[in-house]
Amino acid sequence: MMMSSPIRLHPISAVANFLKQLKELLVPFIIFVVFGSRGGNGEIVQLVLSLGVIIAVFIIGVLTWWRFTYRLEEGELRIEYGVLIRKKRYIPLERIQSLDLSEGLLQRPFGLVKMKVETAGSSGGGEAEAVLTAISKKDAAIIQQAFSAAKNNPSGVEATLQSREVIYKISPGELLLLASTSGGAGVVISAVFAFVFQFEEIIPYEKVFAGLEGFMANGIIFVSLLVFIVFLIAWLIALVGSMLKYANFTLVKSEKELIVTRGMLEKRQMTIPLNRIQAIQIRENLLRQPFGLATVYIESAGGSIEDNESARLMILPIVKKTRIAGLLKPHLSHYELQPGFFKAPKRALNRYLWRGFLWVLPFVAAPLLFFRPWGYLSLVLLLLSLGWSYFKYRDAGWDISSQQLALRYRGIVRTTVFMKRNRIQSLTISEGYFQKKRGLATIEAVAMSGVGGTGGTVPDLDRKEVYAIYKWYSYSVLNSNHSLQRKKRP
Amino acid sequence: MITEPHKRIPARGLLAWRISGTIHSVFPFVLSGGAIAAAFLFNWPIWVIGASLMFYSAYAYLVIMTFPSLRWKRWRYEVRENEIELKHGMFIIKRTLVPMIRVQHVDTRQGPILRKYGLATVTISTAATVHEIPALDVGEAEELRFFISKLARAADDDV
Repeated sequence: MMMSSPIRLHPISAVANFLKQLKELLVPFIIFVVFGSRGGNGEIVQLVLSLGVIIAVFIIGVLTWWRFTYRLEEGELRIEYGVLIRKKRYIPLERIQSLDLSEGLLQRPFGLVKMKVETAGSSGGGEAEAVLTAISKKDAAIIQQAFSAAKNNPSGVEATLQSREVIYKISPGELLLLASTSGGAGVVISAVFAFVFQFEEIIPYEKVFAGLEGFMANGIIFVSLLVFIVFLIAWLIALVGSMLKYANFTLVKSEKELIVTRGMLEKRQMTIPLNRIQAIQIRENLLRQPFGLATVYIESAGGSIEDNESARLMILPIVKKTRIAGLLKPHLSHYELQPGFFKAPKRALNRYLWRGFLWVLPFVAAPLLFFRPWGYLSLVLLLLSLGWSYFKYRDAGWDISSQQLALRYRGIVRTTVFMKRNRIQSLTISEGYFQKKRGLATIEAVAMSGVGGTGGTVPDLDRKEVYAIYKWYSYSVLNSNHSLQRKKRP
Repeated sequence: MITEPHKRIPARGLLAWRISGTIHSVFPFVLSGGAIAAAFLFNWPIWVIGASLMFYSAYAYLVIMTFPSLRWKRWRYEVRENEIELKHGMFIIKRTLVPMIRVQHVDTRQGPILRKYGLATVTISTAATVHEIPALDVGEAEELRFFISKLARAADDDV
């Protein structure tokens, strides 16, 4: 096998280490500068100290790069690193869950890639991954090949020529639709608020606002306009951010893997072997559902504590719901992605409404009692909650298609989870007193995703149906001759 | 319908739970004791004393008597060749199935109270979930751990 002697990363990774360390030091540094000693020699001391720290960080960055080597040997990716304490990490290739490639701004000019190696999360907690900050595309290809070979033919037989097929490629219109309905604006706004309040102690807001007070009194319209503009800008920032992030989104299937590439400034490539898929999730958020649009995710066993997001891979960012099954069926043939659903029985509606009602009761009652007449506005909240509960009831459902369990439920986003029987880690039924009286029960199924679980809980389904699911899942021979009565309500 | 699990927690487990319930009720004891003492010292109205006594006795009764009994009465488990089934819950009754091939490892754990009564807690972990049988005879727990780890050999497919 090639690459059996230790290889260093590209020197640019020393710069990357340096920048990363600097970024982590940024906040303490700002605090140091702002609150540090003033006057006299203080500034010179500060300057010298700062320079010293920067130089030290740079040296550490270079040393880190110097000590870091990787090689492929005996079917393992062997990494040795550590400045003071030398560490070795040997990752057997067949234990690798996925390889993620990305090209950041640092890597791009040199034609390099950053490779993230994900192993099953639970085995070593946050430690169980490796990052090769900057390697040549050729080396990345060699590692990928070795990884695929180890996965597909453990015996070491030559891998067959990989056939690649593009399943999905985002169109400009879809990209715009995706970015404008992503809900990222909320994130930007809260980030701005967080930032503003961070510096409350430094910037004298009170003085600033005292000057504005007279101004504000002049026009509520002006203030509303200002708020509106801030929101618009936040939304635009989020829009551009999402567009850069999801530009050129492509889903490709090679022989035994799904490969997602995306991104404009930072190109990312993520690979998940088909046999590592734990569950499939279809999510429809409030803005997209009315247009029949949905997002499809794959849950895998990769990821670590620090980066649990990589366990959930978006494979179809925005797509007509009716197209999903057609797009994925040829490639994920074990999954039935467009089943009919058994719904919650009519008698469950009451319980859904009550649950929603009890949640909002304090928020509705308090204003009603203490802030009349404006408190009456809180009744709107009550109406919203009732509507929401009704939707939760309407969306609750389940289906079993041979070896697959599908659960559909709504938190805020309507979520449909598809899990193979042999990927479900545990199944739980729960029945409360009032549920039992009405012949209802709650079902919960958990599949693995990264270090944690994923899955779904659907409350208040027909008790008999829930027990049928339970029986379907049971591995005992006693219970194995299950015959499901398929009576679907329209 | 599926056969219900029928193994129960040993009666000593109930005793151990009552003891840990007693320990749990120390905090409200101190709280209501303090309130009563304060009522005497600062001439607070008499109902403070009554309320504190009521609060403490209700809390203690629930934590020492009612909850452990209910919990013990409801707990059932069964370890079959292919799966583990648990059934428990005081007000909401939960039944859980864990297939043997999904089990990753089994641990036993013993606090000072459980040790005194020769009991142990068995924890069963899958790749995504953790399940617990709260009190079993030590010998039985060991046996169970051995039995499960023998049956739950590394699955041929991933995770």
